[in-house]
Amino acid sequence: MSEATAKRHMGLKTSRAISNTAIHVLLIVISIIWLIPFVCIVLQSFRVENTGPVGYVMPKVWGTDNYVKLFQTDFPRWYTNTFIAALATAVLQTIIVLCMSYTLSRFRFKMRQPLMRFMLILGMFPGMLSMIILYRVLKDLGLTQANAVPGLILVYVASSGMGYYVSKGFFDTIPMSLDEAARVDGATRAKILYKIILPLSKPIVIYTVLTAFMGPWGDYVFARYIAFGTSAGKNVAVGLYDWLNKDQISNCYTMFCAGGVLVALPVTILFLFLQKYYVEGVTGGAVKG
Amino acid sequence: MASVKLTDVKKVYDNKVTAVHDFNLEIMDKEFVVFVGPSGCGKSTTLRMIAGLEDISDGTLEIDGEVVNDLQPKDRDIAMVFQNYALYPHMTVYDNIAFSLRLKKVPEDEVYDRVTNAAKILGITEYLTRKPRALSGGQRQRVAIGRAMVRNAKVFLMDEPLSNLDAKLRNQMRAEIILLRQKLDTTFIYVTHDQTEAMTLGDRIVIMKDGYIEQVGTPQEVFDTPVNLFVAGFIGSPQMNFLKANLVKGGNSYYVELLDVKLPLNDEQNAVLAQKGVGSQEIILGVRPEHTTVLFDNAEDAIECTIDVNEMMGSELHLHLRSKNDDKIIVRLPTVDLSKEQRASLSYGNKMYITFPAKVMHLFDPETEKSLIDG
Amino acid sequence: MTQLSDLEFLKLSKGQKFGYRLGRFFTGIPKAIGNFFLKIGNGLKKAGSAIGREFADIVNTFIHGDWKTKLSFFIMGFGCLARGQILRGLLFLLFEIVFISYMILSGGYWLSMLPSLGKVGPSEEYNEVLDAYTTTYHDNSFQILLYGVLTIFFIIAFIYTWRVNVKQNKMAEKILASGKKLKSGKDDLRSVVDDQFHKTLLALPVTGIFIFTVLPILFMILVAFTNYDGTHNGYTNSLFTWVGLDNFNTMLSWSGGSGGTQSYAATFGEVLIWTLIWAFFATFTNYFLGMFVAMAINKKGIKFKKGWRTILVLTIAIPQFISLLYVSKMFAKNGIINGFLLDMGWITQAIDFFGDASRPWLARVTVILINIWIGIPYLMLITTGILMNIPADLYESAKIDGASGWQQYRKITLPYMLFVTGPYLLTSFTGNMNNFNVIYLLTAGAPTNAAASSASGSVGYTDLLITWLFKITMGAESKYYLASVIGILVFVVVALISLIVYNLLPSIKNEEDFR
Repeated sequence: MSEATAKRHMGLKTSRAISNTAIHVLLIVISIIWLIPFVCIVLQSFRVENTGPVGYVMPKVWGTDNYVKLFQTDFPRWYTNTFIAALATAVLQTIIVLCMSYTLSRFRFKMRQPLMRFMLILGMFPGMLSMIILYRVLKDLGLTQANAVPGLILVYVASSGMGYYVSKGFFDTIPMSLDEAARVDGATRAKILYKIILPLSKPIVIYTVLTAFMGPWGDYVFARYIAFGTSAGKNVAVGLYDWLNKDQISNCYTMFCAGGVLVALPVTILFLFLQKYYVEGVTGGAVKG
Repeated sequence: MASVKLTDVKKVYDNKVTAVHDFNLEIMDKEFVVFVGPSGCGKSTTLRMIAGLEDISDGTLEIDGEVVNDLQPKDRDIAMVFQNYALYPHMTVYDNIAFSLRLKKVPEDEVYDRVTNAAKILGITEYLTRKPRALSGGQRQRVAIGRAMVRNAKVFLMDEPLSNLDAKLRNQMRAEIILLRQKLDTTFIYVTHDQTEAMTLGDRIVIMKDGYIEQVGTPQEVFDTPVNLFVAGFIGSPQMNFLKANLVKGGNSYYVELLDVKLPLNDEQNAVLAQKGVGSQEIILGVRPEHTTVLFDNAEDAIECTIDVNEMMGSELHLHLRSKNDDKIIVRLPTVDLSKEQRASLSYGNKMYITFPAKVMHLFDPETEKSLIDG
Repeated sequence: MTQLSDLEFLKLSKGQKFGYRLGRFFTGIPKAIGNFFLKIGNGLKKAGSAIGREFADIVNTFIHGDWKTKLSFFIMGFGCLARGQILRGLLFLLFEIVFISYMILSGGYWLSMLPSLGKVGPSEEYNEVLDAYTTTYHDNSFQILLYGVLTIFFIIAFIYTWRVNVKQNKMAEKILASGKKLKSGKDDLRSVVDDQFHKTLLALPVTGIFIFTVLPILFMILVAFTNYDGTHNGYTNSLFTWVGLDNFNTMLSWSGGSGGTQSYAATFGEVLIWTLIWAFFATFTNYFLGMFVAMAINKKGIKFKKGWRTILVLTIAIPQFISLLYVSKMFAKNGIINGFLLDMGWITQAIDFFGDASRPWLARVTVILINIWIGIPYLMLITTGILMNIPADLYESAKIDGASGWQQYRKITLPYMLFVTGPYLLTSFTGNMNNFNVIYLLTAGAPTNAAASSASGSVGYTDLLITWLFKITMGAESKYYLASVIGILVFVVVALISLIVYNLLPSIKNEEDFR
């Protein structure tokens, strides 16, 4: 065997081994880059010696002072606000989204196409714009500031029907003939929904609940408008954001980190368990457009 | 058990496409009617209109004398088997079959009796606690039939129930459907694109194309006396041969002129043509592959052909022949009576002679595509 | 550009083919836009003739109808009640009563005030009891505009219901004439969960969208034609009123800049261009790098596939406000990044990533880079699913044809991905144009553009239109009318881009290509 042929025959295995090693190294680097900020935030939440931002990562004095202090501020109130808003939104938004997407997937009625097109166009307006008026209306109704939570829930939930794409895409994959068989079997449309379709839609229901929960959990913009002014009406995003402004950052930076850890923890754990459904929803939704 | 009557039934979709044109048909009580035709011919649409899954654009549909146009499927007392079975994936076989009964609030005892009884007839008793996912295609098919059976519905609708099965299973299930039909003794409407299924199952066959009914009749009728080119070509396998020819009137009798060969017609045919006042004209001559007479030597009134392909099918040969002016003709030739020499002569490029007896010839008008004799 | 036949096209060289396609693309745009307007024109024509037919039908129904029908024209639901459809009749009647009493009690007032948006503003009056000047409030422009719009909708709804009422009478007459029975109230109730179930299901979501999206957007569009701002809030300080196209003139005219500050148009142009650049890079860097990571993890022979994916997916779970705010502090002058770089001795002076107005591109590039960090996990997920759907035999046959890894990517992976994700890329692009979170939480628009800052609310070099809009509404002057104008312009830009891309996107044009 000549050297050239030998090289050709050895090539496949060695080059694959080299490229695989390179990719493994790359993935390790990527993982480190992606995890570093979160590692840092956890480490800094245990820093005692300085409550402001500093240029190093490892705390010199370790302690849980920041967490203790956190509970002497309005943070528990914000946390409760956010949790209630997120939970209520998760339930109500799921119901609304499922109603909308099921209808658009299953029924053929005259206004179906116009409705979908209309919502598409509506979605091109910056949603934030409507907050200006909603804020004033909610204020007139007494649903802002200290009473922000019900107002927030209303704002989160009310227009959620427009986010029907992903679950409609899922419903579209359930064969129409199941509905037809059930209709012939004597089921009303309502019965078909809760006896046939819903039991088959567990993944998308979980996905919808999860995303509906995460929206309010991390929302800044709407909460900023509604909770304007009072500390008691803030949610965690607005509250923690304000700790980082120039006047407070030197006192509150490590507390921000501690608060961030407490906010991130439950969703991360939730995600760890429900990852599969989230991935399913995201990938399905993107292909459907 | 009921009759079904369709009067001028029409289906026009929102985009103005007409899927079914003025469909008229009366189906007797306990009759087994098959709708057959190529895809897009409107057969499934018609069935779905009967089921109530599609709105009827125009005309009336009566089941047992009652106009049911505006009734929901559930109020029409019909049962239906779907092409892809449409079993509820999250329910066990038992729950699948029991679903309609439970919706009707039938007492659980009776549900049990009826479901187990149906399962026994279909031989799926041992799978009752399984989910559809764990069943084979044939078993799923049985569950789908079982689900329709327990309803004791007036009309039993089947939408291409066998087309998702492999060839062997399909033959087996076809036989079972015939048996089932004898047991159930109810009105059946069955949709298929497969003419063999239609021929073997139906009391009557409705052949459809482009939303129109082409012919209605017993399997024998549509096979023997197709009223037009489409039906002639659609029923029978391999397809009927179509050859351009001339019909020549000579005195009181007619003959077909094909490649200088004169093929006489019989008295019956002559009488019909004469009565219709048909003169000499171009025609399309249709002859079924199994009706062709093969001569190994030249004879009078024989058409000379060259062999293109010889397909051995076991009990018979399918010969693909080419005539002098490039007409393609397929011939079915039973192998039993062939001598060794004869078989040897049937190879590529060799000459062959065929002729057609009067009674197997179908004459079609090239313009209207209608049969000159039948219909 | 004239269209070539397929064979002519095949003869072109690679460069010529590209040029030809490009030419076709751009010559296609005017046609696409033309078609769009043609469609609108046709739609209007159709709507016109439909309205004509409706009128004719109404008149006919009246002339040919019996006395029950005729009376229903004035007392809604009378026909239903007289023919035994009690439930329907009562609902119609109730609606009419509610409508008329609303119009008398308040609707008329709102409607009459709509053209002026209020006549009497708040006034200071001497109060003898208190011996002080107190403010008395009168008209409320905000409410007038809001309820005026609502009243118009209510009127439209009433006309529609009235029309349905008339139609029902006609139908009922026809049904009774043919000897059939009318639907009873029980039938109607049953249909709510059956053949009319879609209406039941849609009622809540659509109402929500109407009240919380359609109405506000309509209101804000109208606000763009008023002088509603912090000093004209319509009630407590001063009324606001219609100003016509003044606000659009302000925003889109080049004059008006003075004393080192730009005109609004110049600032708007700058922000718009940066918004587009940002959206382009944010979309495509994420897309390609996300795809790259997905392919790396997917590759045969890579271990812990699930592990790598989980690490990236978990970063999605952490709310963006935490990660973005934290990262923005990492990049601060006294943050960890600078601390690290200084410790290493790679720099001698802390870099002001987001504060250096003399180097706006430093902030902009940093923002794009950080956005990659945010976006890759998400794109990795999306592309993983699609990559796995590419039929393996395509690659196998390419390998046998002798394609290298890069060629396989160029000729199979990329076209397939672009085809399948075309619509997603479009929504992702427009989504990034409005990506408030990343910009606002990272930089809040910094570094500030001093020249533009007088243009209501400070504007920075990393500000997108959407964050600018937010700042204007939150700013001291609260120039809501300007925010509305920007909002409308954002819509116009997004709609235009969507329209053009949708008309040219292959996945919409040739739906069957990759199936």
